[in-house]
Order: sequence, then structure tokens, then C-alpha cells
Amino acid sequence: MSKKLIMSIFSVMLLIGSMQQSFASAGTHYNIRVDGLACPFCAYGIEKKFKKMEGISNIKVDLDNGIVSVDAKDGLVLKEEKLKKLFHDSGFTYRSMKTTPLK
Amino acid sequence: MRTKCLIKPALVLIAGMVSQTAFAHDPIFGQGPHVLFKDGFEVATEVHSSKKGNELENELGLEVKYGITGDWAMGVDLPYEIKADDGNSSSGFGDAAIFTKYRFWRKDTRALQESAAVSLKIISDTGDETQAPALGSGTTDSVVGLSYGYEGRSWYRWASVRYRQNGTNNAGLQRGDKTLLDFVVGWRPNLTGYTEPDMVYLLELNGELGDIATLNGSSVANTGGDEWFISPGFMWTVKNFAVRGGIQLPVVSDLNGSQEKSDYRAKLSFEWHL
Repeated sequence: MSKKLIMSIFSVMLLIGSMQQSFASAGTHYNIRVDGLACPFCAYGIEKKFKKMEGISNIKVDLDNGIVSVDAKDGLVLKEEKLKKLFHDSGFTYRSMKTTPLK
Repeated sequence: MRTKCLIKPALVLIAGMVSQTAFAHDPIFGQGPHVLFKDGFEVATEVHSSKKGNELENELGLEVKYGITGDWAMGVDLPYEIKADDGNSSSGFGDAAIFTKYRFWRKDTRALQESAAVSLKIISDTGDETQAPALGSGTTDSVVGLSYGYEGRSWYRWASVRYRQNGTNNAGLQRGDKTLLDFVVGWRPNLTGYTEPDMVYLLELNGELGDIATLNGSSVANTGGDEWFISPGFMWTVKNFAVRGGIQLPVVSDLNGSQEKSDYRAKLSFEWHL
């Protein structure tokens, strides 16, 4: 009985542990407000700069709303100063960002 | 005799000698303030064609540009000329050029960018000016410019002024300097997404105000004057590839003396951002 109880508890702990692991490794989704985005040809520089960064995926550009969204792998944090420089070097202006954890 | 031989080929170049360098989402014949993203490269192949009476000039060009910063770019222009005039024809490399543009003001709002830039282009004398028709000007010339642009999702507008200062060749001929004025509107009828093909239609008003040429300080007859063109064009892009083209049609010709008026000028270019 006690062996079964111990095994059950151990299994539950393993399950919880693996769930936490999967949550932790999902990463972060960034929605970034960018001004000056009027034409797709001009926005290519943004995509190119994000692609050079390790751990970045799912790069999307919404020209009408001025939103650039990317997914960053777990442990990668995009700081505001770095984003300001990235968009300035691309020829645009960073305004703000919102983050949500990836599931 | 040698002087006369050098004057006519040099004068033939006067009407067509305008700065054709253009960046990505800039007008076809005018100039806008757009530059290139930092550390980016733009490679463009261009075809120019112009006709003026019996003078026919075709040019194949290769341009390479580099983004020094997000607001400053520079590049080189390597033209190959194919010319015909009065039964003569010639072909070969023309006058290579280097250029730079600095965007000194930018106002970014949502889906809109207004900006202004200054530019400088130095056109060398690498083309052979002794051929008939001449492939080069025989002089080193410079073009300085100031441009403004309003780039929105549906509408564009640009205005620019450029001044071309021409050097003096070995025969003492100085082609008249030129002031170039450009006013452009652009329209994107369909607001496409970032990865979709995108089309913008352009309509330009291009003015060329030319001074009289001088030979050893004396004015040369039948040179100088003004021309204005209406120029419809287009820009088609998909991601980092663009096709741009247009045609200049003269609407006003006020040229001094008995000069041939321009019939047309046309341009088609293919550009890649790398």
C-alpha cells in the first residue's frame, strides 16, 4: 500500500515537473508597436535583422496597424534598448511592446 | 578641328545627362529621401532608353548600394552605353559614378513616414568621349540634391531639387549646369500584406532647367533651355524584390536655338535588397 502511494506521489510529481518544464520552455511572444511602416519593401530590413538573432521565430509585420510580432525562445529577453536600436537601424521608430507567454 | 570633333559629341550628352540614381521606394525619374537599412545591400540592374530626333541612347546600368546606417547610404553606378546618332553608333562603358544620401529628418507615425534627405553624386569621366557618339562626357561632374517624401499606406508624395554642375573638358567646353525639379504623387490602390505582391502607381512632373554651354568662356549657340516632362510609372514589389519602370513624355520644351526636342525617355529596373 505504502509502495503504491509512494509510486503514485512520485508519478504525480514527475507529471507536474514535466508540465512546468513545458511551460517554461515555450518562450515569449512580443507585439511591438513601430511607426513609419508604410511599405512592405521597406520593411524587409526588419525581418532580416530579427532573423540574425538566435532564438527568434515567427516574424510577422502588420503594416496597417504598425505591429511587428516575433516569438522568442525561452530564456531570450528582448530589451527595449535593443529593440529601439534594431528598428532605428532598419529605418523606423520603436514605440512600445507587449509580451505574452507562449503556450 | 579636334575642338569641333569634341564639341558635338559632348553636346549630344547634354539633354540626357540627368542623375538617374534612385533608391527602392523612390520616384522613377525624380529623387526621394529613402535610403537603406543598416548593413543592407541593394543591387539593381537598370535599362534606360531615350530618343531625341536622330539621337538614340540606350544604357544598361548596374548599381550597388550599402546602408551605412539606417539613415545614410552610399553606392556606385556602372553604366554600359549603346548609342546611335546621324548614322554613327558606339557602345562601351560610360561614366562611372559614386553617390551618397543622408536622411537628416524623419517623422514616423503609425503607417506613415515623412522624411527629408540630402544627396551627392560624383560622375567620373571613365567613358570614352572620343567615340562618335561619345560614351562619356570627358569631365567630372557633380549633382547635389535635396528631397522630401511623404509615404503612407495609400498615398505618396515627393518633391526634390537637384543641381548638376558640369566640369570643363580638354577642349574648353563646359556643358551648361542644370537644375532638376521633381514633383511626384503615388497611389497604392490595394493595401496588401507584408508578404504579398504590392503595386504603387506613380505620376511625376520633372523639370530640367539648363544653362547655356560655354567654350573657353564664350556662349555656345543652340544649347541650354528648359524641358518639362509628365512621367507615369509604377513600383511592383514582393518582399525584397522590386520592379520599377516609367516613361518621360515631354510636355513643355523651351530650348534655345534649333535643338531637337526630347521624344521620350524610359526606364526599367530590377532591384534586390540583400
